[in-house]
Parts: sequence; structure tokens; C-alpha cells
Amino acid sequence: MNDFRTPDAPGDPAQPTADIDGYSLDELSDYLDAGQSPADPGIDHSPACQLALDSLARVRAVSLTMLEREATELPPIDESWIDNIIGAISLDVHAGRDIPLHHSSPSVHLSVTEGAVKGLVRAAGDRVPGLLVGRCQLIGDVITAGSHITLTVETTAYWGENIPEAVTQLRHAITAMLAEHTELVIVSIDITVRDMFLKTDEAGEEPSS
Amino acid sequence: MTQTGLLEMTVTESGITPGKGATIDTTTTLADLNNAEDRTLVGRAADGDVRAFSVLVRRHSPILRAYARRILGSTDDVDDVVQETFIAAWQQLHTISDPAMIRSWLMRTASHKSIDRIRARREHVDITDNEPEAPPEHTPERTAIANSREDALSQVLSRLPPQQRECWTLKELSGLSYDDIASAMGIPTSTVRGLLARARRTVVSDMEAWR
Repeated sequence: MNDFRTPDAPGDPAQPTADIDGYSLDELSDYLDAGQSPADPGIDHSPACQLALDSLARVRAVSLTMLEREATELPPIDESWIDNIIGAISLDVHAGRDIPLHHSSPSVHLSVTEGAVKGLVRAAGDRVPGLLVGRCQLIGDVITAGSHITLTVETTAYWGENIPEAVTQLRHAITAMLAEHTELVIVSIDITVRDMFLKTDEAGEEPSS
Repeated sequence: MTQTGLLEMTVTESGITPGKGATIDTTTTLADLNNAEDRTLVGRAADGDVRAFSVLVRRHSPILRAYARRILGSTDDVDDVVQETFIAAWQQLHTISDPAMIRSWLMRTASHKSIDRIRARREHVDITDNEPEAPPEHTPERTAIANSREDALSQVLSRLPPQQRECWTLKELSGLSYDDIASAMGIPTSTVRGLLARARRTVVSDMEAWR
């Protein structure tokens, strides 16, 4: 293995050469990778470098569309292949911290996992029209009963919905759900609407992301 | 399902899955999740929502399979690598700094897993030029006429020497660093730079006709 000729001998033509107004194609490629930042006036003010950057960027764009096209030409994914993934990950629940639940018998220790509580928050959110719940976080010492907990919830709103009203409904739904199923002392529910998107009723397979 | 049912699901007995909460009546449909942006799905999946994760799997597996095939050639390894990539993603979702960039994260992870396969092949097969075979579309009938930029690029890549093609793919498609590529291919970083320099020159100049 690895016994192919190394092309980095002195004078090897494969070595990057500074042939574009003093820059090599590779230096320009790295500049492109870095988002053309910090700005290099030598590159920015050179028409030849700008042309080369354009070429590199175009090839990169085509390479992505090439992959996307190849992706559509592949044989469809076997459902059992997806099932295997879901089966494998289902063994690894995102349980998080154990949140204590009171029980009348001192010999019984009940707890709810943080993951389950987040599941409750999602379930509450999924019943509220107009919003889609994303990530939520329980901030505070949840493993100690009675601690003051802040809940943060990221959401996306559907286009055309009354956002303040939907957020109020979501807040109520979460409050009721957590009050019913947990003993968490929620002092604040911080809901962030991060984005908006169009709701479609088709269970289409092509996402609009 | 009833509220009581929900409570039962939340108690930490016998490994009950929080994600099962998805079975309750909701107004959120699969279509909603299919339309949701990656960021929302990653957030839900990081919190344990298997349903949101399965949408991510369906959404991104085609490009990952195409990508892994570019690195590995057309083998059974491709689907295995993509499967491993998603399982790793599930385990590490909460650590992903920019959930909106999940596709890049997945592609990077898939490249590392593909590279592991390539390394293993190199170790197990005692031939010096053990390069992955070119993807199957690089057959002569397909290389006759390029009907699009994508075809043209595919043909240019298929004509590159295998090591140049491998370097180019790892750099340009997955954005690995020179050092990562060197370590993956078991060659010095300076060699990677040399191979990439040649590959880039060829690709850029051959693609000039498609400006």
C-alpha cells in the first residue's frame, strides 16, 4: 500500500503553482472555502483570480446538483432498510435526567425521564393548530423536586396563522399537560417562533425544505 | 389514546420509549413534519421524536447514498455506511451546533465512515492500486455525450486517475481538510495537495466549455 509515487519532489509539475496573478488554483479554492474572508485585496482586485473563483464556484455548484441527480437515479430505498435504522435507534431513547414523582409510599421511587417530559411538551404542541414544536429544553435542577424550572420551546408557525393566539394556546396546552402528568414547578415557558412555513395537506414525499 | 395512557408511557419502567407519544391523537400530521425545515426536525429528534427522525432519514438518505457511492463505488458498503451515519446522527443530534446544517453534518459523517471502509479495504487486500471502482454510471455508453453540466462533470471525474478522483471527491464534495484526506488515504498531506492540484486543474479546465 501507499507505494505510489509521491509527486512532491522538487520541481514536480503537480505542485501547486502560483500561476493566476500570483495565486495557485488551490489557494483560490481555499479562499473560496473560507467564504472569501478575511478579504485578500490581491485576489479581490485581480480579474484573473475572480474568473478562477467563478469557475471553482461553478464546479462546486454543479457537483452538488450532480449528486442530487444521481440520488434520484438510485434504486428506491428499501423500507426494511429504514426500519433497521429506526429499530436501532429506538433502543437508544434520549432519556435525559430522571425527574422525581411523589408517591404516597416512601419505599416507592417514581420518576419520569426528561425525554418523556419533552415528549409531553411535543404532544401538547402537536394538538395546537398553527405551530410546529421543535426543540425544547428544561432549564433548572429537575432532579430535585420543587425546583423552579424554565421551559424553552422552539416553534415554527404556519403561514397565515395568528401567531400570538397560537402561542397563547400552546402555552396553555403545555401548562395543562405538565400540570397533569408531572410535578414540575414551571415558572416560565419561553416560546420562540423561529420561522414560518407553508402548510400543505398532501402527505407528499418531497419536502419543501 | 387516553391521558392515562400517556402517563403510563412516561414512567421510567421497562424502557418505555418517550417517542411513543407520537401515537396520541395530534393535529400534527406526517405531512407537517415532511414540510418542516431540518432545524425543527433535528430539534424534535434530539428530544427523542423518532417520527421526526424518520422524516430526516427519508429526506437525506438519497443524497447520502449517492455521495457514499461516489466515494466507495457501487457496493453493499454504501447502504451500510449511510445506515451507520444515521445511527451516529441520532446519538449525536444534541451536540450538533447548527441543526439547520444537518445535511453537511451527515455528509461529513458519511465521508468519515466511508473512509474507514476504504482503509479497511486497503488493509485487507494486498494490492498496491486498490482503488474503489468508479461508480457504475461511468460506463462507456454513458460517457459518449454529455447532455448536461452534471453529465460533463461526471465524465471528467471518471477520466481522472483514481487517487485524484478520490481526493477531489473528499475535498470538493465533503469538504474534508487536507490533513483528514491524507490520514484517510494513508498518504502525506503534501501528496494530497499535489493530487488535488492536478485534479482541480483538470476539472476546472474541462468544465470551462460548460460556462
